[in-house]
Amino acid sequence: MKTLKNLIYLLIVFLFITSCSSDDETVPAPLGDYVNGILITNEGPFQNGTGTITYVSNDYTTIEQQVFNQVNSADLGSIVQSIGFNDEVAYLVVNNSNKIEVVNRYSFESIVSITDGLMNPRYFISSGTNGYVTNWGDPFDNTDDYIAVIDLLSQTITSTIPVAFGPEKLILINNVLYVAHQGGYGQNNILSVIDTSNNTLASTIEVGDVPNSMVVLDNNLWVLCGGNPDYTGNETNGKLLKIDVSDNSVIQVFDFLTSDHPKHLSADGSHLIYNLNGVVYSKDEADISLPQESIISGTFYAMTTKDGKLYATDAGDFASNGTLKIVDLSTNSEIQSIQTGIIPGGVYFND
Amino acid sequence: MKGLYLSIASFMCSASLCAQLDSIQYLNEIVLVDSKLEEFSEGYTLTKISDTLVSRNPVSLSDLLNFNSNIYIKENGYGMVASPSFRGTNASQTAVIWNGIPINSNLTGQTDFNTIATASLTNVIIRSGGGSSQYGSGAVGGSIHLNNTIEFTENSSNELTIYYGSYASVGAIFKRKIATEKKYLDMAFDFISSDNDYEYVGLNRKNNNGEFNKLNISMNGGLRLNNSSLIWNSNYFSGSRNLSGTITTLNKDSYKDETFRNLLTWNSTSKKWNNTIKGAHIFEKYQYYPNRENVLYFEGKSNTIIGDYQLEYNINEKIMVSSILNLTHIKAEGSNIGDESRNTLAAIFIWKQLVSDQLSYNINIRQEFFNDFENPLIVSVDTKYKINQWYSLKANASKNYRVPTFNDLYWNSGGNVDLKPEISYQGAISNEFYFKNFFLNVNLFYINSKNLISWQPDMNGIFSPINVSETENIGLEMGVNFSKSIQENMFNIGIDYAYTSAKNIETGKQLIYVPYHKVTGTIDYRIQRFNAYYQQLFNGKVFTTTDNSTYLDSYLVSNIGLDYFFLYKTMPIKIGFKINNILNKYYENVAYRPMPNRNILTTITFKF
Repeated sequence: MKTLKNLIYLLIVFLFITSCSSDDETVPAPLGDYVNGILITNEGPFQNGTGTITYVSNDYTTIEQQVFNQVNSADLGSIVQSIGFNDEVAYLVVNNSNKIEVVNRYSFESIVSITDGLMNPRYFISSGTNGYVTNWGDPFDNTDDYIAVIDLLSQTITSTIPVAFGPEKLILINNVLYVAHQGGYGQNNILSVIDTSNNTLASTIEVGDVPNSMVVLDNNLWVLCGGNPDYTGNETNGKLLKIDVSDNSVIQVFDFLTSDHPKHLSADGSHLIYNLNGVVYSKDEADISLPQESIISGTFYAMTTKDGKLYATDAGDFASNGTLKIVDLSTNSEIQSIQTGIIPGGVYFND
Repeated sequence: MKGLYLSIASFMCSASLCAQLDSIQYLNEIVLVDSKLEEFSEGYTLTKISDTLVSRNPVSLSDLLNFNSNIYIKENGYGMVASPSFRGTNASQTAVIWNGIPINSNLTGQTDFNTIATASLTNVIIRSGGGSSQYGSGAVGGSIHLNNTIEFTENSSNELTIYYGSYASVGAIFKRKIATEKKYLDMAFDFISSDNDYEYVGLNRKNNNGEFNKLNISMNGGLRLNNSSLIWNSNYFSGSRNLSGTITTLNKDSYKDETFRNLLTWNSTSKKWNNTIKGAHIFEKYQYYPNRENVLYFEGKSNTIIGDYQLEYNINEKIMVSSILNLTHIKAEGSNIGDESRNTLAAIFIWKQLVSDQLSYNINIRQEFFNDFENPLIVSVDTKYKINQWYSLKANASKNYRVPTFNDLYWNSGGNVDLKPEISYQGAISNEFYFKNFFLNVNLFYINSKNLISWQPDMNGIFSPINVSETENIGLEMGVNFSKSIQENMFNIGIDYAYTSAKNIETGKQLIYVPYHKVTGTIDYRIQRFNAYYQQLFNGKVFTTTDNSTYLDSYLVSNIGLDYFFLYKTMPIKIGFKINNILNKYYENVAYRPMPNRNILTTITFKF
């Protein structure tokens, strides 16, 4: 019975113990400049949480997680989609929270938060005194998609340009804005061409299904289209297109197999790099056919290149911290693997 | 004064609030529709939650189990979608059984605990441990049994409860019962509506888009013939909710649920034989509105038809054998799954032997047929050894399973028709000590689960379910209950503690949303016309990411309440007053989804 009494005593002690709340284990790093480094947007858990920004210095010696939170003592928001820049200002596009956090790109100190006029914002690009943000609107309504135009002096949305459904990535060439309509939760197959001198839709270009990434090389616009996935019941092949931006004509099309759905196009020197079927391919822009040999293996959630290096993220099981892999493209060997936040969806260079 | 005590007694059926069931002998007049629950489960821990506790948590099964069991409830904000983790298992591995019939959704594999109305139930029994051999898919961590009993005793009563609380929560429960020695009928009507716009403590913000309302209508009837009985159970539920946002999002979506269940049971008994034939129909439907201001919605629905024949034969006074044939036909359709169906035939054989007055054991074997996936052979053994008057030892070992849901198999995009069932092997030992005013039980359990279904992205980034992980859960559960009466004072204290280690074997990490420690406790004090109580819940920290890099802090939440009884002329009346979260604690049981601040619930109940 003595033991029994002890047991009960223990139980009662447990019951009346007040909760010992422990603080976060993350130790705030000294807040230096976030210059000369890599910024990674981490979407964060989809249903319940906040996205974050990871900073990695160019020499990989400094790594800081949750940069925005550390500097501003506030959560960034749900689904951090992308970052766009204008001079010293960074625009952090937070999709599910329907806002853009405007910060100093080197200190990450908050300047303002833009909330009015955004609905499912995706990507930002600046041109002169204007910023352009693709918006899905209601993702289940294919008729309310638009580009929000931000006056970068007042940091407010001054007008909108209605566009076809599913606008996603943006690229600016000679004051002309090209918008890839990946198609939101569905699929689309066009680029919108917007004249930034009067903020109107100038034309559209039909490309392949699901244009998911674009890059400029030697004054040509290269567009990678993933094709319709199998589950749509109308599977189509991926395509790589070359567009002459002087007259917006498609001058070359490379067809993938019907079951091939490439993504993440970027350029390294004269090479076009993309991810397909668990490997990464590199194609010289002059090659007349698609490459058969891959350079490295991996399925990546985001991928980009800079100065002979490939930066690719792995989101793992989407419920834990991801990783950033850095690969030297001259040897195709991994030189770094760095822990990021949850679901790393974008890699940016802050030089 | 005598009338007063009668009136109190009419509200308080049992002195003990959360009793461990131990060979309870039901009177002949009382029919438990799911008779096998207690007949063939001696080696398992069964905990019965009394109607007193049910009436203190009238809003939902989530509240009830959160404060009165070891089960961790993941609630996406108060009143929102709530799923359980029982002994560290996943949300599809707790079976909810309504009068012996499994009611987990065919679409999600789970029961949303906020869509179960408790007021119409006679009792709720928690059966800890694997029960697939008797209850089929999903009874892995344990099962929650929602029971309506039929009582063939002369009786006629009406009860009306009206409640009002914070956040404009209004509800009413009306129950009517008429019975003779041959016939029985009860009806219960239960409605609640709430703005649910509670404050996030310390954040200077309110819960957005959290409004809900629920309606439940239940009817149970019975006819007693010479050596047989005919029983009918019926339950309709309709719920409409907006889905709360999180700290970082404002939501606009909403959700509607509808379920309708009917069960007809015919039982005939002779000296040696016992025949039971059951027919059941279960309808479930959901509608999801991504934007509640628009007409667009996604829906899913399923119809289940069950035919069940059970034959029991007493070979002699010590040995009973039982065989069950169960045919289940499910038809499901929805925006994302097309139109699919499934037929399952299950054959179950049970052997029960009373070796002596002290020792008994059961062996259960279940084989399924017709499924498109591997049909597992399920076996369980359990035994109870009553060592002496105050100490019993129970043990059980079982193989259990959870079949892939219609969403897992057919969801567009991602559904995988090649999935296998999740399989788990487990064992538990439980020690039960009974003293005069005092009860203690100590359980140890081990669960090894394989082929766990997890949705992961494929090469093209499309999420698809695969049989991937293996987990190992080890735990300890302790429960004490102490009650004492001194003259007019009645005192009861119950405390439950659970330690759960649930690891992904590959990574060695604790599973997300499984606390190592959970403690619940209730102190109850009754004197004359008053009954005061204190409820407490402690949840240890839970990880929210699979690499255990982020977690929710542990928290302790307390409620207090006072009930007052009186007679108006001859009508017994109870007035209840309860303060939930009296310490006004900020807490979350799902990340970024705060639970309510301090709030009040007042009730008044009339019996006539």
